[in-house]
Amino acid sequence: MKYRDFIIFGVLIAIAIAYPWLNPPRYLLATALILYCYATVVSQWNLVFGLAGIFSLAQVAIFAFGAYSTALLGRYLEWNLWYAFPVAGVGGILLSILIGLACLRLRGIYVALLTLAVSQMLFVLIQTDSVCSPLNQVKDPRNCIAFTGGSQGLGEFGSFGWRAVLGGRDWMIGDYYSMLTLLVIGLIVTYLITKSRMGLAFRALRDNEELARSRGISQYKYQLLVFALSAFLTSVAGGFYAAHFGAVGINLFGFPLLLFLISMLVVGGIGRLWGPILGAALLMMADEVFKEVSDWRNIGLGVVVLLFMIFLPEGLAGGIEKVSKLVLRVYRGGRTA
Amino acid sequence: MDYFVQILVSGFTFSAMYALAAVGLVLVWGAFNMLNMGHGIIMTLGAYFALMWAELFGFPLVLAAPFAMLCGGIIGAIVYFISAHWMIKQRDFETTIIIATFGLGMAMEAGLLKLLRELFHTSPYAQPLSMGADSFLVATVPVSYQRIIIWGSALFLILLLGLFLRGTKFGRAIRAVAQDRDAARLMGVQVRNVYITVLALASALAGVSGIMLSSFKEIHPLMGGALMLKAFIVIVLAGLGNLTGSLYAALLIGMVEATVKVLIADKYGFTAILILVILALIWKPAGIFGRSTVARQ
Repeated sequence: MKYRDFIIFGVLIAIAIAYPWLNPPRYLLATALILYCYATVVSQWNLVFGLAGIFSLAQVAIFAFGAYSTALLGRYLEWNLWYAFPVAGVGGILLSILIGLACLRLRGIYVALLTLAVSQMLFVLIQTDSVCSPLNQVKDPRNCIAFTGGSQGLGEFGSFGWRAVLGGRDWMIGDYYSMLTLLVIGLIVTYLITKSRMGLAFRALRDNEELARSRGISQYKYQLLVFALSAFLTSVAGGFYAAHFGAVGINLFGFPLLLFLISMLVVGGIGRLWGPILGAALLMMADEVFKEVSDWRNIGLGVVVLLFMIFLPEGLAGGIEKVSKLVLRVYRGGRTA
Repeated sequence: MDYFVQILVSGFTFSAMYALAAVGLVLVWGAFNMLNMGHGIIMTLGAYFALMWAELFGFPLVLAAPFAMLCGGIIGAIVYFISAHWMIKQRDFETTIIIATFGLGMAMEAGLLKLLRELFHTSPYAQPLSMGADSFLVATVPVSYQRIIIWGSALFLILLLGLFLRGTKFGRAIRAVAQDRDAARLMGVQVRNVYITVLALASALAGVSGIMLSSFKEIHPLMGGALMLKAFIVIVLAGLGNLTGSLYAALLIGMVEATVKVLIADKYGFTAILILVILALIWKPAGIFGRSTVARQ
């Protein structure tokens, strides 16, 4: 991260903080807030995949896990959701450590397949959960749903609570700043991890794996650490998502959401500092623009992912970097000649 | 005794489908380290091709499965030319091809859904190749003739594949490429033709697997996804690239799934096999039939 990056970061944050004061339409505020949520998830994914080289497809499942844990805690234990978020985060860490212990010793490809299978397993377990739970029997005896809500999803578990503080008109602004705070924390954590011993270890492993290992750097240990750390924020982002919408559904585990988030990562650029934010912003915008033809959404996303992997696997951030380097070289070359 | 027969009957059926789906994945992985995430939608398409042949064209049923295999093979070749062909020189090909074919598969699936919604209807179709519930009794457990056909055709196709790989010149080329790509190229093997052939073969077999699945449920645009994941689990358990190992693994996983489904509950089948595989991988990280050369970190 250079001087330039800090300036960009500062400017973007300032714009994001000022945005609600411009009195934007409500739905744009809501879109921006979801953008921050997804950007948090994708930036953590970028840390896992781009920096640590773990090809995990379970990030979306961890996100959904966080959303469901928050919902369950809020609904059945009637917790204030602000207490539920950190608990969901710790739950996410435990889940990721379990997954990590099972597959991080293996080659990258096994990790992809097993993490995908684990998220499918959670999907199936929740989808087929249809036995009426006694806890719901008390609440609504006529329409009793299963403990996890099954394929119907789950609601009535509370929210951020901004409605009580800011009133019925401005509560969305509370949600907006909550999400923005989470994203900023996520970005700072990403930066700190990249700069820390862990970031150095991964760089060493990438540059010269044998030398790094013979110096005692354990890839397994550092990978597990990054995987667990990123799971915390991913899971909390899921909790925030649930708190904003006031409902969680089985679609959080589904392939369409995975496709949407992976296309953010791919379009932005895997392993690039600005990749996740660029990708998330572009795809949320595209989603807004092409709302009319939403039939084509998954077709379009799929084709975009395919084309990027073929022609620009380093993503737009990588492409911009390449072009700017080329321009600089031509410019300097021209001056010295 | 009843339970035992029941487990064997549904276990062999699962195994047959998983084996056909997994063998193709193994062949493709062995040839050029590609994992096709579009495998699931190709299975679904196989079932739809059979339906098309029988319902839309009204051609004789006997040839529906070969027609579906042919179409599946063509789609496999097309998948090669729109994805792997351009990417095979990339440094992280193993990873990028997964993401690329995931996108491609999702696009195909969404396209199929859209096509069906606009031209036909979205409610599930019955598979015309299904023989219905006609059955005979084995110790009070009804066994449908459909299952006998599934077992028979799976065995037949796998034996045929084995003969092709061992007996023909092209089969030898495929095995040579799987062993050592560069050496095979130096010996004059047309490596690219091998890539296309294995992908086409895998997709043809996937089509049959899709027909089998749909023959005792129904045809639905999203049906291939779960079957593909189970095929992935099979090849992971066997150790990637191990052909005979994947057959044993398919048998094992089919039986375990059937046992759990019959004795405990239908919905825990997938969870049970996944936990089994994770335990097996902790015990033997290279897969139970894998060679120890697989990188361990």
